[in-house]
Amino acid sequence: MGSSYLGRRIVQATLTIVFILFLNFFLFRLMPGSPERILTRNPNISAETKAALKAKWGLDKPLIPDQFIAYIESTVSGDLGLSFKYRGEPVAEVLGSRVWPTVILFGTGEVIAVFVGLGLGAYAGWKRGGPVDYVGNGISLVLYSTPYFVIGMFLLVIFATALGWFPTNGMLTVGATYDSLIARLWDFGSHLFLPLVTVSIGLIGLYSILMRSSIIETLAEDYVLTARAKGLSDGRVLRVHALPNALLPAVTIVALQLGYVIAGAITAEIVFNWPGLGTLTVDALASRDYPVLQGIFLLLAVSVVLANLAADILYGFLDPRVRV
Amino acid sequence: MALSPRSRVVRSSLAFLLGITLLLPAAAAPAAAADPAVLRVGTTQDLDSMNPFQTALVVGFEAFTLNYELLLGFDQNLSPAPEFADSWTKSDDGMTYTFKIDPNKKWSDGTPATSEDVRWTYQFILDAAKSDAGATCLGYLDPYLIDASLKSVTAPDPQTVVLTLDRPDERILEAYVPILPKHIWGDQTIDTICDFQNEPPVVGSGPYQAQEWQTGQFVNFTKNPNWTRSQLGPDSVVLQIFKSTDTMVQALKSGELDYAHGVNPQQFDALKGQPNIDEKAGTANGYTELGFNTYGTGTGKTIKGGGASTKALQDAAFRDALGYAIDKQTLVDKVLGGYGEPGTTEVPPFQTRWHVEPDHPRTFDIELAKQKLDAAGYVLNADGKRLDKQGKPINLSLVFPDSDANYPQAAQFIQAWFAELGIDVSPAQFDSDTLIDKMLPPEAGKDYKAKFDMFIWGWAGDVDPNSLLDIFNCDQIGNSSDSLFCDPAYDALFKQQNEATSYDQRHALMAQMQNLIYDEAPYHILYYDSNLEAWRTDHFTGWQLQPAENGSPLFGYGSWGYRQLAVAGAAAPSPTAAPSENAVSSPSGGGAATPAPTQETSQPAASGSDNTALIAVIVLIVVVVVVAGFVFMRRRRPETEEE
Repeated sequence: MGSSYLGRRIVQATLTIVFILFLNFFLFRLMPGSPERILTRNPNISAETKAALKAKWGLDKPLIPDQFIAYIESTVSGDLGLSFKYRGEPVAEVLGSRVWPTVILFGTGEVIAVFVGLGLGAYAGWKRGGPVDYVGNGISLVLYSTPYFVIGMFLLVIFATALGWFPTNGMLTVGATYDSLIARLWDFGSHLFLPLVTVSIGLIGLYSILMRSSIIETLAEDYVLTARAKGLSDGRVLRVHALPNALLPAVTIVALQLGYVIAGAITAEIVFNWPGLGTLTVDALASRDYPVLQGIFLLLAVSVVLANLAADILYGFLDPRVRV
Repeated sequence: MALSPRSRVVRSSLAFLLGITLLLPAAAAPAAAADPAVLRVGTTQDLDSMNPFQTALVVGFEAFTLNYELLLGFDQNLSPAPEFADSWTKSDDGMTYTFKIDPNKKWSDGTPATSEDVRWTYQFILDAAKSDAGATCLGYLDPYLIDASLKSVTAPDPQTVVLTLDRPDERILEAYVPILPKHIWGDQTIDTICDFQNEPPVVGSGPYQAQEWQTGQFVNFTKNPNWTRSQLGPDSVVLQIFKSTDTMVQALKSGELDYAHGVNPQQFDALKGQPNIDEKAGTANGYTELGFNTYGTGTGKTIKGGGASTKALQDAAFRDALGYAIDKQTLVDKVLGGYGEPGTTEVPPFQTRWHVEPDHPRTFDIELAKQKLDAAGYVLNADGKRLDKQGKPINLSLVFPDSDANYPQAAQFIQAWFAELGIDVSPAQFDSDTLIDKMLPPEAGKDYKAKFDMFIWGWAGDVDPNSLLDIFNCDQIGNSSDSLFCDPAYDALFKQQNEATSYDQRHALMAQMQNLIYDEAPYHILYYDSNLEAWRTDHFTGWQLQPAENGSPLFGYGSWGYRQLAVAGAAAPSPTAAPSENAVSSPSGGGAATPAPTQETSQPAASGSDNTALIAVIVLIVVVVVVAGFVFMRRRRPETEEE
């Protein structure tokens, strides 16, 4: 892969992140409502105490340049500030405790969806008009058009409430004591199952529809015809000639999708009370916890940029044409 | 309004889901009951602080009444009962109260709990209330002692507390102030108390202390090892915070939750008749009101660039006439699903000792409302619009917070009724903080403009009605007053009732106050809300309502409700919990009401009968999806073949 290709992509990604830093600061300060009201909680607060509180949190200084410079300085040094709602806990720690549940839930969900969805789509497209195509595409369309919270509620009502196979909410049984690590993992797994299925199902629909049409398009290409004419086996035509080319749009979508996945995460996490970034976002919005909100949006935006960068690099491997 | 295809999908999916929910009977299978004596309580309100001085929420009060004791608690009928103190006596003149504390009383960490802890707590509040800066950090706890005219607190010996009042006032026995351990809190000053987080593990003398708090997720309380006042059923109490009432109700049905606080009317109805679940629509000690911006009434003050859009709102006759155009019964039926009562006076019927019905009640009568408006000088113009006395058409803004799904619905009804009077209403929803800023008058700060006409919001009260009465005092403008109402006659009555020395005297004064507010109508109380609560009866028994006729088992006053619970299957008053094997073979009852003490015994029976319905439903879904897939593919086929 050419180093100029890689270099251009990295510069682009860096510029985007810098832009996000700027946007992140101003966006949240345009929102209505004042954080000092949450800080004090008390309706009978005097003007002096309010002023003292504002000073303590740096809210008394002008937005530009003081608050903005302070924001850039601390963000660059990895200090995301202190949470209003989390009793002054550093934002980095608040995010740290919530990021893993989301990464596990959506990371695993993505992996499952990528394999199952792309596989299902490829097979359906390959055997177009076959029973797998009929049924699989029908199901995929329904799943793709169903929001996460509907899928989640559906699974919750059937498998948690009615059948009692899985717990309805949370990540671990609160207040439970575990004899062993295995017991703890088992408890975690049983809590993870339904949210994971929800997320996977939602994504499988999208990926399989995409992969199906991509494969169908590729199969009409001349080089596939040539490969067939050369007398290659069906399997070899699919694996060596059709699949790599059909994967290109899929890689783009999977990377671009990351942002939407997190947005969807909010609704899925709320249905199952999953203590991840989604529920944290809702809490932080409700209490105008600016530092936490900024931290979340910075994290999400940077991960989308990085995912796109990764997709670009992967493109370089998959498609020699883009390396120029 | 045309629906977009996407929202149609959402709607039909939701309708389908709802149908499925109704088809499925809930299984009584507890999914994960690792510890049988964990009481799991669900709420959608997030805990804001573990520091009793810093909380403004119901959940915060619930947490501190588990952690700590009040000097005196409340029994089932909300009368004072022994809690931190064992007993009390009143002097003949009613100005001195003497409390006795158990000599063996200990905090949860083993430190002796004495009168010095009470003295420190009360003295701290007295000192703080006197200083300007301190009062801001006392949250909602400061008025109790001050309103009861507490003058001094002394601790002559470790078992005795003496409270001296300025006047005889029995409300000193109802002070909702947690007694805090001096050895933990003693270093706090008025300046530092705002920042004291009181992080778990908490040391207290209440029945359960917080051991772990994951913000936004749960608080885990464990039994106080030094609790001697009663036998406690649950070994620990978990307060679980839910983001959605739907999930909370599902958790209750599945047995993962023992108590759901604040479900909505539809969920409440759906829970009726479910096995092992009881529910109660308790009367709230509060109300929801339609309020008016009366700023300037009596004082003639105006706000530059703010205030109400018309002077008509300062006219009691105008507000009174509008009251005839509000059908409160319809609001209760349509907005609350029947769970509530039409509102009248500012002291809710929950306060059975103080509530009075108005002497001149209004009826719903649009024609009468029109006549009254005409008579008061608010006439219609040629376009059928009602004019104020300055000749300007009356268009009223109606604001409300987004915290309650009922408010927008109530606003729609009000908009329609007032339209019949020729008055245009424009409803607008805000988040609570923005709305508070919008509604505050210049008295709260020079930037505030009180730019609104009407609002829908609600209040909840204490055991004593004072906090609800206080809202209409002139000195609350810039504080808790949202109608910005001021009538010196009301203020005088408030002062008199606060200092009244007998029940009859105070009751008579309070009746006058309730009538004054009803007649002058800065508020039209729309309805008295209900607290919709549901709980399981198969893990714990002993659920009792506080107060008995219209209260709820938990989220009442003090920790009384928690202390009545016993593990299901255990002999209720027995000091040791019966082993579960006994419970399994217990022949009691029969049918749905039988407690199902263990997972193993209850699950197969319950889920077995459910499975048939469930499998039918799943098969149905699969068939629908497959058919949909086929239909879709068939339709597309001709095109694809042509290519």
